[in-house]
Amino acid sequence: MRRDELQTKILAILEDDFEFEHPGLDDNLRDEHGFDSIDAIELLGKIELMLGFSLNRAEKEKAMSIRTINDILDYIEKIQASHQQ
Amino acid sequence: MPRRVVITACSAITPIGYGKETIVNSLRQGKSGVKPLRDDGLLTDHIHSRVFGTVDYPIDYGFTRRYTKTMGPVAFYACRVAGDVLAQSGLDEKFITSGRLGVAFGSTHGSPTVQRNIYKTFFGNLKEEFSSIGAVDYLRSMVHTTAVNITRMFGITGRVIASSTACTTSSQAIGFGYEMVKYGMQDAMLCGGADEYDTTTVAVFDNLLACSVDFNDTPERTPRPFDSDRDGLVVGEGGGAVLLEEDEAAKKRGATILGEVIGFSCNNNGGDLILPNLDGITATLKLALDDAGIGPDDVDLISAHATATKMGDVIEAQAIDAVYGDRPLVTGLKSYMGHCMGTCGVIELTMLLYMMEQGFVAPTLNLDNVDPRCAMLNHVRELVEQRIRIVALENFAFGGVNTCLLIQNGRHLT
Repeated sequence: MRRDELQTKILAILEDDFEFEHPGLDDNLRDEHGFDSIDAIELLGKIELMLGFSLNRAEKEKAMSIRTINDILDYIEKIQASHQQ
Repeated sequence: MPRRVVITACSAITPIGYGKETIVNSLRQGKSGVKPLRDDGLLTDHIHSRVFGTVDYPIDYGFTRRYTKTMGPVAFYACRVAGDVLAQSGLDEKFITSGRLGVAFGSTHGSPTVQRNIYKTFFGNLKEEFSSIGAVDYLRSMVHTTAVNITRMFGITGRVIASSTACTTSSQAIGFGYEMVKYGMQDAMLCGGADEYDTTTVAVFDNLLACSVDFNDTPERTPRPFDSDRDGLVVGEGGGAVLLEEDEAAKKRGATILGEVIGFSCNNNGGDLILPNLDGITATLKLALDDAGIGPDDVDLISAHATATKMGDVIEAQAIDAVYGDRPLVTGLKSYMGHCMGTCGVIELTMLLYMMEQGFVAPTLNLDNVDPRCAMLNHVRELVEQRIRIVALENFAFGGVNTCLLIQNGRHLT
Protein backbone atom coordinates (compact mmCIF):
# COMPACT_ATOMS: atom_id res chain seq x y z
CA MET A 1 0.00 0.00 0.00
CA ARG A 2 1.35 3.44 -0.91
CA ARG A 3 1.92 6.04 1.80
CA ASP A 4 -0.96 8.28 0.65
CA GLU A 5 -3.35 5.28 0.73
CA LEU A 6 -2.09 4.32 4.18
CA GLN A 7 -2.52 7.90 5.36
CA THR A 8 -6.15 8.01 4.18
CA LYS A 9 -6.95 4.71 5.90
CA ILE A 10 -5.17 5.52 9.18
CA LEU A 11 -6.81 8.95 9.38
CA ALA A 12 -10.21 7.32 8.80
CA ILE A 13 -9.55 4.80 11.58
CA LEU A 14 -8.40 7.50 13.99
CA GLU A 15 -11.41 9.68 13.23
CA ASP A 16 -14.06 6.94 13.13
CA ASP A 17 -12.88 4.48 15.78
CA PHE A 18 -10.78 6.68 18.08
CA GLU A 19 -12.89 9.85 17.80
CA PHE A 20 -9.94 12.07 16.81
CA GLU A 21 -10.96 15.59 15.80
CA HIS A 22 -8.87 17.34 13.13
CA PRO A 23 -5.82 15.08 13.43
CA GLY A 24 -2.53 16.58 12.23
CA LEU A 25 0.22 14.33 10.90
CA ASP A 26 2.74 15.61 13.46
CA ASP A 27 0.38 16.05 16.42
CA ASN A 28 1.60 14.41 19.64
CA LEU A 29 -0.94 11.58 19.90
CA ARG A 30 -0.94 11.42 23.68
CA ASP A 31 -0.90 15.12 24.48
CA GLU A 32 -3.26 16.32 21.79
CA HIS A 33 -5.63 13.36 21.36
CA GLY A 34 -5.42 11.44 24.64
CA PHE A 35 -4.05 8.36 22.80
CA ASP A 36 -2.70 5.93 25.41
CA SER A 37 -1.20 2.42 25.62
CA ILE A 38 -4.66 0.82 25.45
CA ASP A 39 -5.34 2.71 22.21
CA ALA A 40 -1.97 1.62 20.83
CA ILE A 41 -2.87 -2.05 21.31
CA GLU A 42 -6.29 -1.50 19.75
CA LEU A 43 -4.72 0.29 16.78
CA LEU A 44 -2.27 -2.56 16.21
CA GLY A 45 -5.21 -4.94 15.92
CA LYS A 46 -6.76 -2.70 13.29
CA ILE A 47 -3.45 -2.42 11.42
CA GLU A 48 -3.22 -6.23 11.32
CA LEU A 49 -6.70 -6.46 9.82
CA MET A 50 -5.85 -3.72 7.32
CA LEU A 51 -2.60 -5.40 6.21
CA GLY A 52 -4.08 -8.90 6.25
CA PHE A 53 -1.32 -10.51 8.33
CA SER A 54 -0.35 -10.81 11.98
CA LEU A 55 2.43 -8.84 13.64
CA ASN A 56 4.89 -10.71 15.80
CA ARG A 57 5.70 -9.62 19.35
CA ALA A 58 8.94 -7.83 18.40
CA GLU A 59 7.11 -5.84 15.73
CA LYS A 60 4.37 -4.90 18.20
CA GLU A 61 6.88 -3.76 20.82
CA LYS A 62 8.49 -1.42 18.27
CA ALA A 63 5.11 0.31 17.91
CA MET A 64 5.25 1.49 21.53
CA SER A 65 7.68 4.31 20.57
CA ILE A 66 5.18 5.83 18.14
CA ARG A 67 4.33 9.46 18.96
CA THR A 68 2.72 10.92 15.81
CA ILE A 69 0.62 9.85 12.83
CA ASN A 70 3.70 10.20 10.62
CA ASP A 71 5.41 7.74 13.02
CA ILE A 72 2.49 5.32 12.46
CA LEU A 73 2.89 5.60 8.69
CA ASP A 74 6.68 5.11 8.91
CA TYR A 75 6.09 2.08 11.11
CA ILE A 76 3.60 0.47 8.71
CA GLU A 77 5.85 1.10 5.71
CA LYS A 78 8.74 -0.66 7.45
CA ILE A 79 6.49 -3.58 8.43
CA GLN A 80 5.18 -3.88 4.87
CA ALA A 81 8.70 -3.83 3.48
CA SER A 82 9.96 -6.53 5.86
CA HIS A 83 6.99 -8.79 5.07
CA GLN A 84 7.54 -8.37 1.32
CA GLN A 85 11.14 -9.59 1.57
CA MET B 1 -13.17 6.70 68.52
CA PRO B 2 -15.79 5.65 65.93
CA ARG B 3 -17.12 8.51 63.83
CA ARG B 4 -20.69 9.16 62.68
CA VAL B 5 -21.31 8.56 58.99
CA VAL B 6 -23.86 10.54 57.01
CA ILE B 7 -25.26 10.25 53.49
CA THR B 8 -24.91 13.47 51.54
CA ALA B 9 -25.99 12.42 48.05
CA CYS B 10 -27.80 9.62 46.23
CA SER B 11 -28.79 8.72 42.69
CA ALA B 12 -30.30 5.72 40.95
CA ILE B 13 -31.10 4.49 37.46
CA THR B 14 -33.98 2.07 37.95
CA PRO B 15 -36.72 0.28 36.01
CA ILE B 16 -39.17 2.87 37.45
CA GLY B 17 -37.12 5.88 36.47
CA TYR B 18 -33.94 7.87 36.86
CA GLY B 19 -33.79 10.79 39.26
CA LYS B 20 -35.81 11.71 42.35
CA GLU B 21 -38.88 13.16 40.67
CA THR B 22 -39.52 10.22 38.34
CA ILE B 23 -38.80 7.60 40.98
CA VAL B 24 -40.98 9.27 43.62
CA ASN B 25 -43.84 9.64 41.12
CA SER B 26 -43.61 5.95 40.24
CA LEU B 27 -43.59 4.95 43.91
CA ARG B 28 -46.53 7.21 44.73
CA GLN B 29 -48.52 6.03 41.71
CA GLY B 30 -47.72 2.34 42.16
CA LYS B 31 -46.12 2.15 38.72
CA SER B 32 -44.24 -1.04 37.87
CA GLY B 33 -41.03 -1.15 35.81
CA VAL B 34 -41.39 -4.84 34.97
CA LYS B 35 -41.69 -5.36 31.19
CA PRO B 36 -41.50 -8.26 28.71
CA LEU B 37 -37.99 -9.79 28.61
CA ARG B 38 -36.01 -8.34 25.70
CA ASP B 39 -34.79 -10.82 23.09
CA ASP B 40 -31.03 -11.42 23.33
CA GLY B 41 -30.85 -13.68 20.28
CA LEU B 42 -29.31 -16.43 22.39
CA LEU B 43 -31.04 -17.59 25.57
CA THR B 44 -34.45 -15.96 25.66
CA ASP B 45 -36.23 -18.65 23.66
CA HIS B 46 -35.12 -21.23 26.24
CA ILE B 47 -36.16 -19.26 29.32
CA HIS B 48 -39.60 -19.84 30.82
CA SER B 49 -39.72 -16.50 32.63
CA ARG B 50 -40.40 -13.75 30.07
CA VAL B 51 -40.41 -10.71 32.34
CA PHE B 52 -37.62 -8.31 33.31
CA GLY B 53 -37.17 -5.14 35.37
CA THR B 54 -36.28 -2.96 32.42
CA VAL B 55 -34.50 0.36 31.97
CA ASP B 56 -36.10 1.34 28.65
CA TYR B 57 -35.69 5.11 28.57
CA PRO B 58 -32.81 7.02 26.95
CA ILE B 59 -30.01 8.29 29.19
CA ASP B 60 -27.81 11.12 27.99
CA TYR B 61 -24.41 9.97 29.21
CA GLY B 62 -22.21 12.42 27.33
CA PHE B 63 -19.08 10.37 28.08
CA THR B 64 -16.18 10.75 25.63
CA ARG B 65 -14.26 7.85 24.13
CA ARG B 66 -11.37 8.62 26.47
CA TYR B 67 -13.52 6.99 29.15
CA THR B 68 -15.93 4.76 27.23
CA LYS B 69 -13.14 2.67 25.73
CA THR B 70 -12.80 0.78 29.02
CA MET B 71 -16.53 0.66 29.83
CA GLY B 72 -19.14 -2.04 29.26
CA PRO B 73 -22.84 -1.23 29.74
CA VAL B 74 -22.58 -1.85 33.50
CA ALA B 75 -19.92 0.86 33.85
CA PHE B 76 -22.14 3.35 32.00
CA TYR B 77 -24.75 2.97 34.75
CA ALA B 78 -22.06 3.10 37.44
CA CYS B 79 -20.25 6.19 36.16
CA ARG B 80 -23.49 8.06 35.53
CA VAL B 81 -24.77 7.65 39.11
CA ALA B 82 -21.26 8.21 40.53
CA GLY B 83 -21.02 11.49 38.63
CA ASP B 84 -24.47 12.43 39.91
CA VAL B 85 -23.58 11.95 43.57
CA LEU B 86 -20.26 13.77 43.26
CA ALA B 87 -22.00 16.72 41.63
CA GLN B 88 -24.87 16.62 44.13
CA SER B 89 -22.52 16.45 47.12
CA GLY B 90 -20.70 19.65 46.19
CA LEU B 91 -17.33 18.12 47.11
CA ASP B 92 -14.51 19.95 45.35
CA GLU B 93 -12.00 18.34 43.00
CA LYS B 94 -9.17 18.83 45.48
CA PHE B 95 -10.93 16.58 48.00
CA ILE B 96 -12.14 14.08 45.38
CA THR B 97 -8.56 13.50 44.21
CA SER B 98 -6.94 13.78 47.66
CA GLY B 99 -6.89 10.10 48.55
CA ARG B 100 -9.33 10.71 51.41
CA LEU B 101 -12.28 9.67 49.22
CA GLY B 102 -12.54 5.97 48.35
CA VAL B 103 -14.85 3.88 46.21
CA ALA B 104 -16.84 0.81 47.24
CA PHE B 105 -18.75 -0.31 44.19
CA GLY B 106 -19.59 -3.63 42.60
CA SER B 107 -21.66 -5.69 40.22
CA THR B 108 -22.77 -9.29 40.06
CA HIS B 109 -20.22 -10.32 37.44
CA GLY B 110 -18.87 -7.30 35.58
CA SER B 111 -20.20 -6.99 32.06
CA PRO B 112 -21.77 -10.18 30.71
CA THR B 113 -22.42 -8.39 27.41
CA VAL B 114 -18.69 -7.93 26.84
CA GLN B 115 -17.95 -11.45 28.10
CA ARG B 116 -20.36 -12.82 25.50
CA ASN B 117 -18.53 -10.95 22.77
CA ILE B 118 -15.26 -12.54 23.90
CA TYR B 119 -16.86 -16.00 23.76
CA LYS B 120 -18.20 -15.25 20.28
CA THR B 121 -14.59 -14.71 19.23
CA PHE B 122 -13.52 -17.98 20.82
CA PHE B 123 -16.28 -20.03 19.28
CA GLY B 124 -16.82 -18.07 16.07
CA ASN B 125 -15.09 -18.28 12.75
CA LEU B 126 -12.96 -15.18 12.99
CA LYS B 127 -9.42 -15.10 11.65
CA GLU B 128 -7.65 -16.47 14.67
CA GLU B 129 -4.25 -15.17 13.68
CA PHE B 130 -5.40 -11.58 14.16
CA SER B 131 -5.92 -9.84 17.48
CA SER B 132 -9.66 -10.33 17.35
CA ILE B 133 -10.19 -10.07 21.10
CA GLY B 134 -10.13 -6.36 21.87
CA ALA B 135 -7.29 -5.18 24.08
CA VAL B 136 -9.76 -3.56 26.44
CA ASP B 137 -12.29 -6.38 26.70
CA TYR B 138 -10.92 -7.42 30.08
CA LEU B 139 -11.13 -3.87 31.43
CA ARG B 140 -14.70 -3.61 30.21
CA SER B 141 -15.84 -6.96 31.58
CA MET B 142 -13.81 -7.63 34.76
CA VAL B 143 -15.62 -7.94 38.04
CA HIS B 144 -14.27 -4.64 39.41
CA THR B 145 -14.92 -2.72 36.20
CA THR B 146 -17.51 -0.43 37.81
CA ALA B 147 -15.29 0.66 40.70
CA VAL B 148 -12.20 1.42 38.65
CA ASN B 149 -13.99 3.11 35.79
CA ILE B 150 -15.39 5.44 38.45
CA THR B 151 -11.92 6.12 39.87
CA ARG B 152 -10.59 6.69 36.35
CA MET B 153 -13.34 9.07 35.26
CA PHE B 154 -13.25 11.23 38.40
CA GLY B 155 -9.59 10.91 39.41
CA ILE B 156 -10.38 9.24 42.74
CA THR B 157 -7.20 7.98 44.43
CA GLY B 158 -8.43 6.50 47.71
CA ARG B 159 -9.24 2.91 48.63
CA VAL B 160 -11.10 0.64 46.24
CA ILE B 161 -13.46 -2.09 47.46
CA ALA B 162 -15.16 -4.04 44.68
CA SER B 163 -17.68 -6.26 46.40
CA SER B 164 -19.24 -8.95 44.26
CA THR B 165 -21.66 -11.04 46.26
CA ALA B 166 -24.66 -11.20 43.94
CA CYS B 167 -27.71 -9.70 45.63
CA THR B 168 -25.77 -8.21 48.58
CA THR B 169 -23.12 -6.56 46.38
CA SER B 170 -24.20 -2.95 46.85
CA SER B 171 -25.45 -3.30 50.42
CA GLN B 172 -22.02 -4.71 51.27
CA ALA B 173 -20.41 -1.80 49.40
CA ILE B 174 -22.41 0.66 51.51
CA GLY B 175 -21.67 -1.27 54.70
CA PHE B 176 -17.97 -1.58 54.03
CA GLY B 177 -17.86 2.08 52.98
CA TYR B 178 -19.59 2.99 56.23
CA GLU B 179 -16.96 1.08 58.22
CA MET B 180 -14.14 2.78 56.26
CA VAL B 181 -15.42 6.20 57.33
CA LYS B 182 -16.59 5.16 60.80
CA TYR B 183 -13.16 3.87 61.75
CA GLY B 184 -11.22 6.67 60.08
CA MET B 185 -9.65 4.78 57.16
CA GLN B 186 -11.23 7.25 54.73
CA ASP B 187 -13.11 10.53 55.22
CA ALA B 188 -15.68 9.79 52.53
CA MET B 189 -16.72 6.82 50.39
CA LEU B 190 -18.62 6.69 47.12
CA CYS B 191 -20.64 3.47 47.40
CA GLY B 192 -23.05 1.54 45.25
CA GLY B 193 -23.54 -1.02 42.54
CA ALA B 194 -24.76 -1.62 39.03
CA ASP B 195 -25.93 -4.48 36.88
CA GLU B 196 -26.70 -4.43 33.17
CA TYR B 197 -29.33 -6.26 31.14
CA ASP B 198 -28.32 -9.90 31.25
CA THR B 199 -30.24 -13.06 30.46
CA THR B 200 -27.62 -15.37 31.98
CA THR B 201 -28.87 -14.47 35.44
CA VAL B 202 -32.48 -15.01 34.36
CA ALA B 203 -31.57 -18.42 32.94
CA VAL B 204 -29.82 -19.46 36.17
CA PHE B 205 -32.76 -18.54 38.41
CA ASP B 206 -35.16 -19.99 35.84
CA ASN B 207 -33.35 -23.34 36.00
CA LEU B 208 -33.60 -23.23 39.79
CA LEU B 209 -37.38 -22.74 39.47
CA ALA B 210 -36.96 -19.41 41.29
CA CYS B 211 -38.18 -17.09 38.50
CA SER B 212 -41.71 -15.84 37.98
CA VAL B 213 -43.41 -17.58 35.03
CA ASP B 214 -47.16 -17.18 35.60
CA PHE B 215 -47.40 -13.50 34.67
CA ASN B 216 -45.56 -13.39 31.35
CA ASP B 217 -48.56 -11.70 29.70
CA THR B 218 -49.10 -9.24 32.56
CA PRO B 219 -45.57 -8.28 33.67
CA GLU B 220 -46.73 -5.50 35.99
CA ARG B 221 -48.47 -8.11 38.20
CA THR B 222 -45.15 -9.71 39.20
CA PRO B 223 -43.12 -10.02 41.38
CA ARG B 224 -45.60 -10.39 44.26
CA PRO B 225 -43.68 -10.31 47.57
CA PHE B 226 -45.51 -11.97 50.48
CA ASP B 227 -48.59 -12.62 48.27
CA SER B 228 -50.22 -16.06 48.16
CA ASP B 229 -49.90 -16.13 44.36
CA ARG B 230 -46.22 -15.19 44.19
CA ASP B 231 -44.28 -17.47 41.90
CA GLY B 232 -40.72 -16.25 42.01
CA LEU B 233 -38.41 -13.35 41.41
CA VAL B 234 -38.03 -11.10 38.38
CA VAL B 235 -34.49 -10.11 37.39
CA GLY B 236 -33.87 -6.44 36.67
CA GLU B 237 -31.14 -3.94 35.77
CA GLY B 238 -29.93 -0.54 36.92
CA GLY B 239 -27.40 1.30 39.03
CA GLY B 240 -27.24 3.39 42.15
CA ALA B 241 -24.78 5.33 44.28
CA VAL B 242 -24.64 7.08 47.64
CA LEU B 243 -21.97 9.34 49.06
CA LEU B 244 -20.98 8.65 52.66
CA GLU B 245 -19.08 11.28 54.65
CA GLU B 246 -17.81 11.78 58.14
CA ASP B 247 -20.55 13.68 59.97
CA GLU B 248 -18.65 16.67 61.33
CA ALA B 249 -16.83 17.44 58.09
CA ALA B 250 -20.07 17.18 56.13
CA LYS B 251 -21.87 19.58 58.45
CA LYS B 252 -18.89 21.95 58.52
CA ARG B 253 -18.98 22.35 54.77
CA GLY B 254 -22.76 22.83 54.79
CA ALA B 255 -23.64 19.58 53.02
CA THR B 256 -27.24 18.43 52.82
CA ILE B 257 -27.66 15.46 55.17
CA LEU B 258 -30.04 12.96 53.61
CA GLY B 259 -29.55 10.30 56.26
CA GLU B 260 -27.13 8.63 58.62
CA VAL B 261 -25.87 5.07 58.46
CA ILE B 262 -26.18 4.01 62.11
CA GLY B 263 -25.64 0.27 61.81
CA PHE B 264 -24.47 -2.47 59.50
CA SER B 265 -24.23 -6.21 59.76
CA CYS B 266 -23.03 -8.92 57.44
CA ASN B 267 -22.80 -12.64 58.12
CA ASN B 268 -22.97 -15.97 56.38
CA ASN B 269 -25.27 -18.92 56.86
CA GLY B 270 -22.25 -21.20 57.05
CA GLY B 271 -23.71 -23.96 54.96
CA ASP B 272 -26.12 -24.14 52.05
CA LEU B 273 -25.31 -21.65 49.29
CA ILE B 274 -28.87 -21.31 47.96
CA LEU B 275 -31.55 -21.98 50.55
CA PRO B 276 -32.58 -19.11 52.86
CA ASN B 277 -31.60 -19.73 56.45
CA LEU B 278 -33.72 -18.51 59.37
CA ASP B 279 -30.92 -18.58 61.94
CA GLY B 280 -28.51 -16.73 59.67
CA ILE B 281 -30.99 -14.03 58.69
CA THR B 282 -32.26 -13.57 62.25
CA ALA B 283 -28.69 -13.17 63.47
CA THR B 284 -28.02 -10.54 60.79
CA LEU B 285 -31.00 -8.44 61.87
CA LYS B 286 -29.91 -8.61 65.53
CA LEU B 287 -26.26 -7.83 64.72
CA ALA B 288 -27.29 -4.63 62.91
CA LEU B 289 -29.28 -3.47 65.94
CA ASP B 290 -26.28 -4.23 68.18
CA ASP B 291 -23.97 -2.29 65.89
CA ALA B 292 -26.29 0.72 66.00
CA GLY B 293 -26.83 0.38 69.74
CA ILE B 294 -30.61 0.54 69.37
CA GLY B 295 -33.48 -1.81 70.08
CA PRO B 296 -36.11 -3.22 67.71
CA ASP B 297 -38.68 -0.71 68.96
CA ASP B 298 -36.57 2.14 67.56
CA VAL B 299 -37.07 0.94 63.98
CA ASP B 300 -40.13 2.33 62.15
CA LEU B 301 -39.84 0.61 58.79
CA ILE B 302 -38.40 -2.62 57.41
CA SER B 303 -37.40 -2.61 53.76
CA ALA B 304 -37.54 -6.35 53.22
CA HIS B 305 -35.37 -8.20 50.70
CA ALA B 306 -38.66 -9.81 49.61
CA THR B 307 -37.78 -11.28 46.23
CA ALA B 308 -41.14 -13.09 45.99
CA THR B 309 -39.68 -16.57 45.98
CA LYS B 310 -41.87 -19.14 47.67
CA MET B 311 -39.57 -19.98 50.59
CA GLY B 312 -37.45 -16.84 50.79
CA ASP B 313 -40.34 -14.58 51.75
CA VAL B 314 -41.59 -16.98 54.43
CA ILE B 315 -38.16 -17.32 56.06
CA GLU B 316 -37.63 -13.55 55.96
CA ALA B 317 -41.08 -12.95 57.48
CA GLN B 318 -40.24 -15.37 60.31
CA ALA B 319 -36.93 -13.60 60.96
CA ILE B 320 -38.57 -10.15 61.00
CA ASP B 321 -41.26 -11.47 63.33
CA ALA B 322 -38.68 -12.99 65.66
CA VAL B 323 -36.64 -9.77 65.93
CA TYR B 324 -39.22 -7.01 65.48
CA GLY B 325 -42.65 -8.55 65.96
CA ASP B 326 -45.58 -6.86 64.24
CA ARG B 327 -44.85 -3.22 65.15
CA PRO B 328 -42.69 -1.78 62.32
CA LEU B 329 -44.10 -1.24 58.85
CA VAL B 330 -42.82 -3.72 56.26
CA THR B 331 -42.52 -2.98 52.53
CA GLY B 332 -40.95 -4.86 49.63
CA LEU B 333 -39.63 -2.46 47.00
CA LYS B 334 -38.68 -5.16 44.49
CA SER B 335 -42.39 -5.35 43.71
CA TYR B 336 -41.87 -2.16 41.63
CA MET B 337 -38.87 -3.16 39.59
CA GLY B 338 -37.93 -6.76 40.11
CA HIS B 339 -34.64 -7.83 41.59
CA CYS B 340 -31.87 -5.63 40.21
CA MET B 341 -29.29 -8.11 41.54
CA GLY B 342 -26.05 -6.47 42.69
CA THR B 343 -27.56 -3.03 42.66
CA CYS B 344 -30.78 -3.79 44.57
CA GLY B 345 -29.48 -2.60 47.95
CA VAL B 346 -28.37 0.85 46.83
CA ILE B 347 -31.46 1.37 44.67
CA GLU B 348 -33.68 0.46 47.61
CA LEU B 349 -31.67 2.77 49.89
CA THR B 350 -32.07 5.64 47.42
CA MET B 351 -35.83 5.06 47.32
CA LEU B 352 -35.94 4.93 51.13
CA LEU B 353 -34.03 8.23 51.39
CA TYR B 354 -36.57 9.84 49.03
CA MET B 355 -39.46 8.44 51.08
CA MET B 356 -37.90 9.56 54.37
CA GLU B 357 -37.37 13.05 53.00
CA GLN B 358 -40.93 13.34 51.69
CA GLY B 359 -42.68 11.57 54.56
CA PHE B 360 -44.34 8.62 52.88
CA VAL B 361 -43.95 4.84 52.63
CA ALA B 362 -44.65 3.11 49.32
CA PRO B 363 -46.66 -0.09 49.70
CA THR B 364 -45.63 -3.53 48.47
CA LEU B 365 -47.16 -3.82 45.00
CA ASN B 366 -49.24 -6.85 44.02
CA LEU B 367 -49.82 -7.83 47.64
CA ASP B 368 -53.47 -8.73 47.05
CA ASN B 369 -53.75 -11.72 49.38
CA VAL B 370 -51.10 -12.04 52.05
CA ASP B 371 -49.69 -15.54 52.38
CA PRO B 372 -50.89 -16.75 55.81
CA ARG B 373 -47.30 -17.76 56.59
CA CYS B 374 -46.23 -14.11 56.16
CA ALA B 375 -49.33 -12.53 57.69
CA MET B 376 -47.86 -11.88 61.13
CA LEU B 377 -46.11 -8.72 59.89
CA ASN B 378 -47.35 -5.14 59.60
CA HIS B 379 -47.38 -5.04 55.78
CA VAL B 380 -47.75 -1.72 53.99
CA ARG B 381 -50.53 -2.41 51.49
CA GLU B 382 -51.52 1.17 50.69
CA LEU B 383 -49.40 4.29 50.53
CA VAL B 384 -48.83 5.64 54.03
CA GLU B 385 -48.09 9.33 54.69
CA GLN B 386 -45.79 8.96 57.67
CA ARG B 387 -42.44 10.40 58.69
CA ILE B 388 -39.97 7.55 59.13
CA ARG B 389 -37.09 8.03 61.58
CA ILE B 390 -35.16 4.76 61.28
CA VAL B 391 -35.38 2.12 58.55
CA ALA B 392 -33.80 -1.34 58.34
CA LEU B 393 -32.72 -2.36 54.83
CA GLU B 394 -32.36 -6.13 54.42
CA ASN B 395 -30.62 -7.95 51.58
CA PHE B 396 -29.65 -11.61 51.22
CA ALA B 397 -27.62 -13.35 48.53
CA PHE B 398 -26.74 -16.68 46.99
CA GLY B 399 -23.73 -17.97 48.83
CA GLY B 400 -25.54 -17.52 52.15
CA VAL B 401 -24.50 -13.88 52.56
CA ASN B 402 -26.86 -11.69 54.59
CA THR B 403 -26.71 -7.93 55.21
CA CYS B 404 -28.71 -5.37 57.13
CA LEU B 405 -28.21 -1.59 57.07
CA LEU B 406 -29.87 0.72 59.59
CA ILE B 407 -30.48 4.24 58.29
CA GLN B 408 -31.65 7.27 60.25
CA ASN B 409 -33.61 10.07 58.58
CA GLY B 410 -31.41 13.07 57.80
CA ARG B 411 -34.10 15.53 58.84
CA HIS B 412 -33.37 14.65 62.45
CA LEU B 413 -29.71 15.58 62.05
CA THR B 414 -29.64 19.12 60.62
